[in-house]
Amino acid sequence: MSSALQKKALRDLRRRLPQIAAIGVTVMLGVLLFVASFDSFRNVQASYDRTYARTHFADWTVTGGDPDAIAAAVRNAAGVEGVATRTQADQPMRIGDTKLVGRVVGVPAGNEINHIDLVAGQLPDLPHPDQVVVERHTADTFGLAPGQRVQVFDGTAWHDMTISGVAESPEYLWPARNRQDVLGDPHAFAVLFAPESVAQTLSRRTKPNITLVEMTSTATQSERDWVAHQLRTAGAVDIEDRGDQPSNASLRQNFNGFRAMAIGFPAMFLSAAAIADHVFITRLIHTERPVIGTLLALGARRGRVVRHYVWYGAVVAAVAALAGVLVGGAATTAYTNAYAAILRLPDTVIEHRIPTAVIGFVLGLAAGVVGGLVPAIAAARTAPAEAMRGDVVHPMRMGPLARRSARWTVVPVAVRMALRSLTRSRRRTAATMIGGVLALVLILASAGMLTSVRAMLGIEFGWVQRQDASVLVVRGANDVAAQLQSLPGVAVVEPATIARVTVGGNGRTYATSLTGLEPATVMHGFRTPDGTARTLPADGVLAGVALADELGVRVGDNVTVIPATGSVREVRLAGLVDEPLGTTLYATNATAQSMTNAGADGYLIRFDNDADRDRVRAAATGLTGVVAYTDAHAVENQIERFLVIFWAFAGTTLVLGTLLAFTVIYVTMTVNLAEREGELATLRATGAPVGRLTATVAIENLAATLLAVPVGLAAGVGAGWLFLRSFNNDLFNLHLSVGPVVLILATIAVAAAAALSQLPAARLIKRIDVARVVRDRSQ
Amino acid sequence: MAKPMRGGVQLRGVSKTYGEGGAAVHALREVDLDIPAGALVAILGPSGSGKTTLLNIIGGIESADCGTIVVAGQDISGRPPRDLGAFRRAHVGFVFQFFNLISTLTAYENVQVVMELTRRGDRGHVPDLLAAVGLSDRAGHFPAQLSGGEQQRVSIARSLATDPDLLLADEPAGALDVATGRRVLELLQQTGRAGRGVIMVTHNEATAEIADHVVRMRDGAIVSTDRNTLPADAATIQW
Repeated sequence: MSSALQKKALRDLRRRLPQIAAIGVTVMLGVLLFVASFDSFRNVQASYDRTYARTHFADWTVTGGDPDAIAAAVRNAAGVEGVATRTQADQPMRIGDTKLVGRVVGVPAGNEINHIDLVAGQLPDLPHPDQVVVERHTADTFGLAPGQRVQVFDGTAWHDMTISGVAESPEYLWPARNRQDVLGDPHAFAVLFAPESVAQTLSRRTKPNITLVEMTSTATQSERDWVAHQLRTAGAVDIEDRGDQPSNASLRQNFNGFRAMAIGFPAMFLSAAAIADHVFITRLIHTERPVIGTLLALGARRGRVVRHYVWYGAVVAAVAALAGVLVGGAATTAYTNAYAAILRLPDTVIEHRIPTAVIGFVLGLAAGVVGGLVPAIAAARTAPAEAMRGDVVHPMRMGPLARRSARWTVVPVAVRMALRSLTRSRRRTAATMIGGVLALVLILASAGMLTSVRAMLGIEFGWVQRQDASVLVVRGANDVAAQLQSLPGVAVVEPATIARVTVGGNGRTYATSLTGLEPATVMHGFRTPDGTARTLPADGVLAGVALADELGVRVGDNVTVIPATGSVREVRLAGLVDEPLGTTLYATNATAQSMTNAGADGYLIRFDNDADRDRVRAAATGLTGVVAYTDAHAVENQIERFLVIFWAFAGTTLVLGTLLAFTVIYVTMTVNLAEREGELATLRATGAPVGRLTATVAIENLAATLLAVPVGLAAGVGAGWLFLRSFNNDLFNLHLSVGPVVLILATIAVAAAAALSQLPAARLIKRIDVARVVRDRSQ
Repeated sequence: MAKPMRGGVQLRGVSKTYGEGGAAVHALREVDLDIPAGALVAILGPSGSGKTTLLNIIGGIESADCGTIVVAGQDISGRPPRDLGAFRRAHVGFVFQFFNLISTLTAYENVQVVMELTRRGDRGHVPDLLAAVGLSDRAGHFPAQLSGGEQQRVSIARSLATDPDLLLADEPAGALDVATGRRVLELLQQTGRAGRGVIMVTHNEATAEIADHVVRMRDGAIVSTDRNTLPADAATIQW
């Protein structure tokens, strides 16, 4: 482009700084969000991968069968990096005054696969069989340090163990006991690492029960398939892939949400920027028709005219995109650091990827170019003679609305004028509407997540889990129920059976929990997939809906249930339940106990309304025979912690959504004012007050925004549904829950942004040089 | 009973300069002018003589740098913009060369909207105003459906919507053919004869024949003020 035209363009841009700033900020936010969320997502993934590679995180954790035989079957297979066997058992523990069921994990000699990183103290000294290493989350929760002591119950006697060190483990980056308990009460779970021989002592085992298999980084899919086949052939009952490992699955579930955001949210901002740019360039071209006509008449090539007007959007978008890349880079560092700090990742990878920056810049630039391209091409096709006539008034075809509304004499003319203006410039109206729609989508996708998680918690802890606490007891402890019932603050006590089982069907297996309850239990609500309530079946089991997909079974089919103790049983799948957290099996206590060959080992408790939760906890924990206590409220708190980063992100997008609406509506509003300068000046000449003129313009813009509301609400709810659906699996079963209050608040937020964008309108109308405008139009 | 005369104008030492330094343009230089109430006045002059600036200052849409301006008994010299808006609502109506109608409103609504926004005038009189300009049968038409003359007649009806003391018309027939322009001038003459002051800016000597007073301007100054003892009937003039 010639330097003269460039100078003209730069001067034009300087004269329109507010609109340029609005478009630029939208592009910058889009690029910033893309760069920050995409690179942060990659950084978090790389951080996990680095930890997993460094600690030789097992590709498969195998339970069942003879671990030595299983290990031998695959040790020399192609693609296998290493194999280890170990002992792992959930045992009652006492840590201070807290009783819980913790996990004893044997550390095989060499500490290679699932290597633990000491963060304090040292590994156990083998000549001292009373030493263990405590997992870091456990140490944090209970304030444990080397030298302190914990007690472990082996089923017959308590062992006093000394903490020699604190360690991090790739298996417990997020302290999840299992896939059904990824968001448990932190005071109800602990992990102790012990030398293999000590672990066997503490669990009263004589040999390992877990096989760990690590594949090489270059292992092919066929090698993996073959190894998995060999594991099953060698007697493995359950093979847990690294992706299904509870800690890893929980963390990936958490940050996978950001992957969806990394694409969806920036796309909305860049679309809004392209629309605002389109409106801006269209108006610019409209005012410059005589210039365009003159240039074309003087022989300027059409391509030159197109490039000239595309240049406006391109230069604004390029500067904004560059700023977005730079600020996005800083945000990537800040966000990755914050994520790593909150979840205390052992390794933090912070990289600023050139491809991400380039893609972000190109997307931002594209928003500016695409927005201006269509009006620029249309400008270049203008007939010079027609264009040189300038800002002529083209005869308007009045549509049915205009003709019909002429008879609405009860409606003020100012309102009729505003309504007709909506159809006068349909593109501008459409742009305002799209701005409103995009903002509502952004707001509802974020707000929908917040309200849906809130609703999920409400269902889980108000509808499904109706107990206030649960207690595990030593098998055979007889009078605990009566003692619990007599505690101050306890209203109802029910026996329960809780066991780990592996469910099988159609050649697939799924490790889960089996919970036995009283036939007419008041501690648990069973919610069917269609939202109705049901009771426990007299025979057979109920299962979470995800189980049907996991195993490919239907209600009425028989499934196999393999308990940790007891023999394989076939049982009928009597029904499915729709529960937000986990995929669990439910049966009556009688059915559960017959499957596990054991009696009730737990109690569910409901409190009086005025119960002191801490006192109940202390009293229940102090009872003889009680080995663990879980407070349902603590679980809720743990979920809040799990989602803390998401809350921050969702809150930010709520603000950004409102900003997006403001930006688009502001640009279209200023263009509206520019187009109607003559009308407004004429009305001001008649003495019409600025306030009333502003109100008239505001009616038009607000009407366009409100027209977008039904579409925006529908699109927002749809986007929220899609967004939530990406989270659903056997860990979480989220349903979109957006009540009328949220819809109303989202509408108010967008309307408020639209109203706020009218404030500059008053200033612009006030600043209209009435004399100049009427003089210009008279010459 | 004789109709009260309205819309007198007195200017003393009114000056207006646009720009500064070497680029300064003296649009008005020490202008003194007395226009009696109820008179139809034509301001004549070539382009750049300052006639539109004078009209705008009288109408309160532009401020003078110095001098005293009394319009319809109101001293508007040095008033802030808000007060000038109130002044225009109460005392002044405008007719523009290119009509400046709102394209999305019908003829009827273009008149009514001024009443609504200024909260002056009786909406029941809109049909009368349109009848007075001969457009009763075009009330429901949009500007694009009206001829130029019809649009200017709507513009005159609109300017009368607030019952102003003074009507200011900037080249009211400038964009019209002779026959149509003559019809518009007839309306302005009728308005003046009804006791309302009318000041019309024009560069057309012929149209000035209908005025009671003719003010001639050149280079921002009034070069003559003549009383027309026998104004021509607008229906008869030729140009």
